Amino acid sequence: MKYIVETRGLSKSYGNKQVVNNVNLKVPKGCVYGFMGPNGAGKSTTLKMLLGLVKAGGGTALIDGREMNQKNRLEILKETGSLIESPSYYGHLTGRENLEIVRTLKNAPEKEVEQVLKLVRMERQQDKKTKEYSLGMKQRLGLAAALIGKPQLLLLDEPTNGLDPSGIQEIRELICELPKRTGMTVLVSSHLLSEMDQMADYVGIINHGQLIFQDKLEALHEHSKSKLLLRVMNRTAALKILENSGTEGRVTEEGILIPSLSDDQAANLVSALAAGGAGLYRVEERQKSLEDIFLSLTGRRASL
Amino acid sequence: MLLACVKTEQKKLRHSHLWAAFLVIPLLPTIMGAANYLNNLGLLKSEWYSLWTQHSLFYANFFYAPLIALYCSYIWRVEHLNNNWNHLMTMPVPAADVFLSKLILALRCTVILQFWMWALFLIAGKAVGLPGLPEFQILIWLLRGSLGALAITSLQLVLSMIIRSFAVPIALALLGSVAGLLASNGGFGLFWPYSLMLMGMNANKTEDMVSSSLGFGISTLCFLLLFTGVGILWLRKKDIRS
Repeated sequence: MKYIVETRGLSKSYGNKQVVNNVNLKVPKGCVYGFMGPNGAGKSTTLKMLLGLVKAGGGTALIDGREMNQKNRLEILKETGSLIESPSYYGHLTGRENLEIVRTLKNAPEKEVEQVLKLVRMERQQDKKTKEYSLGMKQRLGLAAALIGKPQLLLLDEPTNGLDPSGIQEIRELICELPKRTGMTVLVSSHLLSEMDQMADYVGIINHGQLIFQDKLEALHEHSKSKLLLRVMNRTAALKILENSGTEGRVTEEGILIPSLSDDQAANLVSALAAGGAGLYRVEERQKSLEDIFLSLTGRRASL
Repeated sequence: MLLACVKTEQKKLRHSHLWAAFLVIPLLPTIMGAANYLNNLGLLKSEWYSLWTQHSLFYANFFYAPLIALYCSYIWRVEHLNNNWNHLMTMPVPAADVFLSKLILALRCTVILQFWMWALFLIAGKAVGLPGLPEFQILIWLLRGSLGALAITSLQLVLSMIIRSFAVPIALALLGSVAGLLASNGGFGLFWPYSLMLMGMNANKTEDMVSSSLGFGISTLCFLLLFTGVGILWLRKKDIRS
């Protein structure tokens, strides 16, 4: 498979702190790749290394087969659009003037300013000074700027941060559309897993600088094995029976959570609970949410 | 690409009120110089040259370098604000062009400032009742000051690029030019960047301070190349924090 972004042992440390540790990203062409991790996990630093804003401490970053270095930097940047951290803008200039600056430096045709303004629905605010823009408008302007020059690769760092729900929805739709319409690859970071669920084809999860998961989104869903929730009158009795049968039970507010069982095993357990006076009155199947997976993936590593 | 960079740098200066500062601040040394001239008429007998000694005493020592610093701080400030460093350095533009485009604008400013100063000098001369027009040589000195200012323009550009504060580089320029007076009086002028513009303008002196044009030229060029080189290298090597 052809990867548009591939990193090999990418690392960076500041002082003693290893911010990015041996990360091997593999982003296939033409997909939306969700790059997730809690705040401070190393997402921004990784993206900055892909753009050459931060020099890699170790390892290499390949963009469309070319290593990001002083020699290839300009060639790579020509085909890359980015929105890193909070949006960048010259506050004393209008939205249009800001885009004109990008257009000149990217040597793109004049009509592209018009096109990207339309794409992010900002035609009407284009002549307002950007310091008067709301955060959502700044974010959209930043996205418009990133799209100038028809880049092959779009790097977006938390693009929905600080937006209201309708703004978030708009950006999400736009991100999903781009690969289909233009063949562009979008690498988007977020600390919200639910968001990725709606956008990403591929997912990478980074925690404490280490990539702890990377695969198709469906593969992540496979981690979400269901559980059984037992609701009983007598918890003490139920727990004792579970212990005797060698089943691990976790008491929650709602009841006792146990791992998913085969039909036979479940039938046996239910009989045992009924016979043992546990007062079983409900057995429910519980799907693990993506947030739970995220937590278990990141939490497990954190405790190592 | 350099041309495109210069164009965008000019765009970034739009809607700014910087020109007002450059219009008004030079009035101060003009007034101070003229007042000093009038107070010392007994000693100052060389008419336009005498007025120039007083005028340049204030202008070159206390105003020219800080004004250049002000301009340099402003053209970097737009990048220090609102995460624009990320934006600037992800444009497909060589680091050298980023620095040089700003340097070109700053140099243009140092020259325009000298012409404005010459106009003010002329007005001041007429106001204190000097006959005729000032010697052409004084305009040459002013422009030679711009040439000497190549050293500090490139230095201030580096300082304002690295120091995020707007005011600190300007304060450094003031200190630097006061030290420049001491250095040039002590005969070390060619080795201190802030002295070169003083010497070029023949500040507060009647005999020519530039005894060797070659030395002056070489020193200016060395400082210019050194600071520009440092600036470009810094842009290339340093991680961007925004």
